[in-house]
Amino acid sequence: MAGYGSYLLKRLGQFLLVVVVGISLTFLVTHLTPIDPVEQTIAVAAAFGSTSPEAIDMLRRSLKELYGTEGSLLEQYLRFWARVAVGDFGPSLSAFPTPVSELIGRALPWTVGLLVPATLISWLLGNLLGGLAGYWRESRSLRFAGVVAMGLHPIPYYIVAFVLLVLFGYVWPVLPLSGGHRMNLEPGFTLAFLSSVLEHSILPALSLILVGVGGWFMGMRALVSNVVNEDYVVYAELAGVDERRILTAYVMRNAIVPQVTGLAMSLGAIFNGAIITEQVFGYPGIGKLLIDGVHAGDYSLVLGVATVSIVAVATAVLIIDLLYPLLDPRVKVG
Amino acid sequence: MRLMRALALAASTLVLATVAEAQGLISNVPRHETLIVENPEGTIKNAGWFNYWSVNAGGRSTGLQQLALDTFWYIDPDRGIDGVWDNSLASEPPKYNADFTEMTVKLRKGIYWSDGVEFTAADVVYTIDTHLKTNGLFWSAPVQINVAAVEAPDPYTVVFKLKKPNSRFHALFTVRWNAMWMMPKHVFEKAGDPLKFDFNPPVTLGPYVLHAYDSNGKWFIWRKREDWRRTTVARFGEPGPKYVAYVDPGPPDKRVIAQLNHELDIIHDVAPEGMFTLAKQSKTSKAWFDGFPYAHPDPTLPAVLFNHQHEIFQNRDVRWALALLIDIKAVSMASYRGAATISAIAVPPTGSHPDYYHVPLEGWLEAFELDTGKRRIRPYDPNVGAQIAATLRPSMGDQIPKEPEKIAASFGRGWWKQDPQAAAELLERAGFKKRGNQWFTPAGEPFKIRIVVEGAPRPVMTRAGSMIAQQWQQFGIDAATELAEGTLLTRRAAGDFQAMISWSVETWGGHPDLSFFLDSWHSQFVAKPGQPQPPRNWQRWSNPELDRLIEQIRSVPFDDPRTVELGREFVKLAVREMPIIPLMAYNVFTVMDETYWTGYPSAANPYTNPVPNWANTKYMIVNLKPQQR
Repeated sequence: MAGYGSYLLKRLGQFLLVVVVGISLTFLVTHLTPIDPVEQTIAVAAAFGSTSPEAIDMLRRSLKELYGTEGSLLEQYLRFWARVAVGDFGPSLSAFPTPVSELIGRALPWTVGLLVPATLISWLLGNLLGGLAGYWRESRSLRFAGVVAMGLHPIPYYIVAFVLLVLFGYVWPVLPLSGGHRMNLEPGFTLAFLSSVLEHSILPALSLILVGVGGWFMGMRALVSNVVNEDYVVYAELAGVDERRILTAYVMRNAIVPQVTGLAMSLGAIFNGAIITEQVFGYPGIGKLLIDGVHAGDYSLVLGVATVSIVAVATAVLIIDLLYPLLDPRVKVG
Repeated sequence: MRLMRALALAASTLVLATVAEAQGLISNVPRHETLIVENPEGTIKNAGWFNYWSVNAGGRSTGLQQLALDTFWYIDPDRGIDGVWDNSLASEPPKYNADFTEMTVKLRKGIYWSDGVEFTAADVVYTIDTHLKTNGLFWSAPVQINVAAVEAPDPYTVVFKLKKPNSRFHALFTVRWNAMWMMPKHVFEKAGDPLKFDFNPPVTLGPYVLHAYDSNGKWFIWRKREDWRRTTVARFGEPGPKYVAYVDPGPPDKRVIAQLNHELDIIHDVAPEGMFTLAKQSKTSKAWFDGFPYAHPDPTLPAVLFNHQHEIFQNRDVRWALALLIDIKAVSMASYRGAATISAIAVPPTGSHPDYYHVPLEGWLEAFELDTGKRRIRPYDPNVGAQIAATLRPSMGDQIPKEPEKIAASFGRGWWKQDPQAAAELLERAGFKKRGNQWFTPAGEPFKIRIVVEGAPRPVMTRAGSMIAQQWQQFGIDAATELAEGTLLTRRAAGDFQAMISWSVETWGGHPDLSFFLDSWHSQFVAKPGQPQPPRNWQRWSNPELDRLIEQIRSVPFDDPRTVELGREFVKLAVREMPIIPLMAYNVFTVMDETYWTGYPSAANPYTNPVPNWANTKYMIVNLKPQQR
């Protein structure tokens, strides 16, 4: 137990280091980008209206003051950490004065609501089919499933998404093209709203599952193909252990361990959002927010989203690291 | 396998049940009473924010500026319902004193906010005072720079005392896309800090009120006011749609699909290819022109902008040489697939400008001579527009007009002849030398130009830049494009470019006065290298003759015929000096579906700009009628 305690402390230290370094690097990158949020705001404000050059100079000074972009990089960095320490990412510069945390809080449920089920479904489906295909290598239907998975996996995600859109949005227009729910529908736990949300999530979720399942399938099939040749599996077969028990208790259970790591990483990465999915399907979420923030030079927003993502991924890895010695006795601690 | 089949069956059942339950684009609003419009701002991050006066805090063309806000005057970029000038909240045009230090505005009576309070001079005074007292509001700076005091001698009269003479002060309250909107005093004075007030729901002066919006910023629905007669557009009739929804329909491909499904009545803009698809596949889709080139030419002039603070572009001969290397027909084909409206002069070929500038100056342009150092040439070819039309006719057939005036309106008039020989002579006079296939600067360096283009966000302009770079390269200049993507605005303001495809000329469109952009071209505003340049003289061009013209324009009233004369003098100066190379109008492929609504503006009935993010489109709403079924 003492060994596990020191392992825990070491991993916690690594976690903190990853978070601090990751966030600091993001701060540096966002602040060294050539996009100036004040100039972006001015350009948008002056893009159409009649605005005199003198007025623009005055507006520039006011915005710098309002946005708090004055001061050296170090001063801004220290101000940033002082705010983050109390969970405040400051106001969004491209939606001033709304707090970044409010924007993230509004977008995150949509991202999580779409990506968690889609990731879990593709993980379950891919591993189940991959495991079966690796074990019963002669099965025609499972070989066919393998061909489909391998065929879909390398197709760029954008193409799969667009084909689905054309098929179900235009050729056979039964599913909505855009948005998270129907227009003019009051959000709430009503059948109309929930079914509308579900309807709008079918295409984005399907696209993610179709592309995602192939990776899990191929990974699991390869792992199972190796495990079935292990001595303990051969011995179990010779000993007459039931085939289903061999598959579940001997083969799948051992093969799944690296896949669980992959799942944890994927679930952590959910907090990045599914940028292309949200763009293609016009689905609300944190990925779109991140892209908008990058384009607008809104480093408060980019830093907010990146911080949530860094903490999420690092936490997922930490949890897996902490659980591994408990799950798999072959992993030593200390 | 049984498990898999059961799972598949359950999933299919769930999908079908969901689809059956959730059918329909819009809930609880009749589709035939609703106009669905693309908002090109896309998804609004801060959807619940309707305080327009707080800089870029929320959406602007979500219907807010088109249907809910109002101000003194509008200038139509095209012909207007009743002329290009419309007195909206004001009952008459502005009245200035002799030295332009005082502007008096008479207000229209009987106009009410949507909560039943009458709009009066008190609202105007409050709006101005708030901007005087508060830094960082959208119009704080121009108000603080210009206004010494504002008074309301009676509820329908406002007098602005100005700090210095300004014959164009009214432009602040004159809509060209937007303008300074009036604030409801009775709402804002109770709200505290105007920078932190979300103004949700907005109390409106326009004929609509907010009906519902998506907190994720995908859509906004506005409902016609019961008392729409107490708004300014009522002079032109009842707004057609009971509901107007502004939506984010996603990327261009989806906009096309949405209109083919009749789920999007007005597309703000698509790529030329999307326009061609709709023209071919949808009988109900209409554009500005009946046929090719379809698009509405906005009063904006994409051009090759030179950075005049780069020594190489300070020589007029170099700028002219680069202009004479361009084959505008190839640029038109590459950028807009031929659907461009070209302009040789620094005024967009749109609205009333052809009548004021392009047609009257045609003779001068034809007679214009350029000295190359070895000979005098007449570089203007008046038939380039007709040549583009002729090139397109074999593939587009009857869609290409035959009448010269229609060709000129659609494709533009003349442009500069591509003349590599004259370009070489001009460069030689400027001290450049050609060795082998490569041109060298007077300093002996390879002549290298990087043209900054925006990339994916503006593919048409990017293609124009690529074609120009290719043409310069063929001549022996080391020319290439440089993708700026999201950094374009920052780089443009910082002067971080040699040449750029962008625009520094934007006009009222319907009105011939050029001060909208030209005033900012005065050398007093040119920033030092490394300092940010205020809009719109991105090219940082200084010229004493230009300064004199601008100062003269400042001294004459807005509607004085001398503004046109001075405008023409500017055009001639810009031809002689070629500070930018004008290319074409910013053509916008706005596509309108007539399945549910008719009465959209068009080249045949140009009563306003159809491009739906313009606040001027409030005049379109009152002309729309439900489609007869």
